Amino acid sequence: AYSGAVDQEVRAYIYSLASALGGTGLDEDGRYALGDDASAVLKDIKRWLKLYDEKLNRYDVARCLAEANVFKGDLLEILSLWPEDDRQGKLMGKMALSCMEIMVPLTWPIEKNEMQMTASHYCHAPYLQLAQIGYKREILEHPSTAILRTAIRIALPSIALPISERSQRDEGIIRLVLYFLRNVAMISAPANLPVEWNENEVSRAATIAAFQAQDVFTLLLTIASNIGEDFNTQDVVVLELLFHIVKGIDAEKLFMEDEELHQKNSKELKGLMLKEAAMLQGYAKNAPTRHNRFGTMIWVKRDNERVSTVSGQDVLMDGQHALSKMDQSKKWNKPKQRKKEQRTTNHFDLPTPLNKNSKKFLRSFVEDFLDSGFNPLFAHLRRAIERDADRVLESHQQQFLYLIGWFLQAERMRKASKKRQLDKQGVLDSVAEVDSYSLVASVLNQETFILLNKQMQEWLDHKQWLELDAAMRCFTQILLTVQEMSLSPIDEDQEIADNIQNRIFYEETTHDRVISILRNYKDQNFSYLDACTDLAHVFLRLLEQYSKGNIDLQVRSRQRARRKKAAKTAESDIQADQQDSEAEDEVDVQRLSKERKFDFKRFAAKFVTQPCVNTFVTFTTYYKDLTDEQLKRAHRYFYRVAFKQEMSVMLLRLDIVSLFYRMIKGPDGMNTASSIFNEWKELAKQVFRKLIKQMQERPGLAVELLFSKLSSTAFYLEHGYEKEAIVST
Amino acid sequence: KRSRVADELGIDEEVQVTKRRKPIAKLDDDRLLSQNGIPKLRRIVQEKLKFKGKGHEFSDISRMLNLYQLWLDDLYPRAKFADGLVIIEKLGHSKRMGVMRKEWIKESKIPAGDDRR
Repeated sequence: AYSGAVDQEVRAYIYSLASALGGTGLDEDGRYALGDDASAVLKDIKRWLKLYDEKLNRYDVARCLAEANVFKGDLLEILSLWPEDDRQGKLMGKMALSCMEIMVPLTWPIEKNEMQMTASHYCHAPYLQLAQIGYKREILEHPSTAILRTAIRIALPSIALPISERSQRDEGIIRLVLYFLRNVAMISAPANLPVEWNENEVSRAATIAAFQAQDVFTLLLTIASNIGEDFNTQDVVVLELLFHIVKGIDAEKLFMEDEELHQKNSKELKGLMLKEAAMLQGYAKNAPTRHNRFGTMIWVKRDNERVSTVSGQDVLMDGQHALSKMDQSKKWNKPKQRKKEQRTTNHFDLPTPLNKNSKKFLRSFVEDFLDSGFNPLFAHLRRAIERDADRVLESHQQQFLYLIGWFLQAERMRKASKKRQLDKQGVLDSVAEVDSYSLVASVLNQETFILLNKQMQEWLDHKQWLELDAAMRCFTQILLTVQEMSLSPIDEDQEIADNIQNRIFYEETTHDRVISILRNYKDQNFSYLDACTDLAHVFLRLLEQYSKGNIDLQVRSRQRARRKKAAKTAESDIQADQQDSEAEDEVDVQRLSKERKFDFKRFAAKFVTQPCVNTFVTFTTYYKDLTDEQLKRAHRYFYRVAFKQEMSVMLLRLDIVSLFYRMIKGPDGMNTASSIFNEWKELAKQVFRKLIKQMQERPGLAVELLFSKLSSTAFYLEHGYEKEAIVST
Repeated sequence: KRSRVADELGIDEEVQVTKRRKPIAKLDDDRLLSQNGIPKLRRIVQEKLKFKGKGHEFSDISRMLNLYQLWLDDLYPRAKFADGLVIIEKLGHSKRMGVMRKEWIKESKIPAGDDRR
């Protein structure tokens, strides 16, 4: 058993090193004085980290360093000894680099998969996580020195060299500094640990403000826009850095003018207050009017002269209330599967608020980045991922796709905000004023689509939901961007958009994938549910539009060819090998050229099967927390199911009916003041009307209402007669 | 010698009486198909459920939901309405239930007459 204690000898060694490093001297006016052998000590500490912690898979040295306060007390002090205007001071520059070499492993994210975690890791991780938050706070808030800028200064001499003259070591230094910046961006207060100081000090807003003030954004822009020329292998670190800066930030709000945002926020606040008032009113309606020991008891008459008793005066008012109270008082709950714990470090689905200043900074950075760095960086990264470069980790692919989605949305929002500005000034939008989409062209090409499709399929097959979530968001944003492109007043944009849409919708495998994602939803988190319903909604809508405009849309279909292939191989088993392979070749050719006309109606029918409906129903059960836009999405889907595809029988299931009823009539229904409420009310009414009609005409439905419909009876229930005997499809 | 006989017969050994927990009633297809289950549901829906029709959609549905809730409460008082519905829905996937469901549909078609089509 591992006691968790750090070896006494190790601790003694580290402490003695820490005190040998230097300290604040009384005789130097309280300034920090370096120890005599400080640079050798720094090297020793580095060696300890490497040869003890890393080699033995422990966190002991890191823990001792944290306990000895080396980070703030020594490392940061040494960095601040390096004067800004000092260009010649070789020694101090070297010391700073040595500090950096220790700071990077100390701030390195503590995330290991279960296979790599040792007892020591489990023992020290919580302490170190808290310590890292402390490190970040001290870096961002250092009283005398801009630590991040100092860090960049370490790399500047290497950056200044042209790429051909840079040594291994120079490249290493640049990477080291970038990793340091990434670590700073990445550290955030973990949800499961208490923090003893103000969380705002290490929040994203504070990080962004510091990045702006200390020129980190400038460095990022420089590297991103010169990637492929002056920089090469740094792309993945920049990718990670960008990811940790923008994840979870609402691109829509980012591109709102302060005034608009203010208006929106106050509207939101007003809405929330109204909602609260309505909620309280709802309670008040049912609240007892007498004291709580007034002791009312009523009978609910059941058949066969039996009664149930319910207590409380509130049930006197209406029978509905008595029934729901009867239900609520039951103690047993259906056992649910416990949800698996999620990885926490890489998630991007946590909404992150920004304050006014940091919003301004981030916005200007994002605009500059889109203007100069986006295309080169993402094209470079795509090539690196495609050729499976050593530096590309698995997490990078997810971050890559997430960022594509995010920046596409940002670009759309920027355009929208620009348009709003022009409209406000009374300038009617002329063609000259509208920018084309060339700023994001590097991710709207066939190569990216192939990569995206490949990744989505792979993640779907391997059940990597978090990654798939990112890919779905990316795909949705691509679709939306292309749609806006097709509405652009520039002819060229329209043409390109048309082309892209044709290419996206050409592959039948893409269509099938969207469906299979939707129908295979099961117990993933809400973010995933949101993303997959959004993707299905957007995909279906755009495909409908597109296939209306292009009646003879062709799709590449594979299924039929495969069936033929199976038949052929069975046949050719008897024949000689040579002929066999020939036949295969022939089939391959056939498979590639197999095209057929696209039939939207038939495709949409695949979206209204029971599993897909179930996914949307699960989504709708969150109705109290959904935004108007999300409620609209669900509404459109159910409308399509019930009336466009005429499969309302899919909705005629008791749990769905009772969900719809509860949403409209309560208890705790939708907010009646919201604009979407009336649409939902109308939808529910229509569905109920259909239900009533069918219950009267087809009594068999009374039982079937309890179950998901069998395919054999669904048609009868919907139409009232049997399907004509096997129509060939 | 005697003790050997006793050993063989197991007379001397104390008989262990293990108290069995009372089995918890389950909502399974046996229960669902019993008299109190679906047959009763079919009966009461036919007898008691009357719709007012147009303009009364919500009150109609409310009465329908109440009917089902009371039926489910009689059948399996343990579960809340929503939980019970989930359990029953799941039961509907079994082969036996599938056969029965088809049977019910067939039965319900006959009185309606075959004049549609």
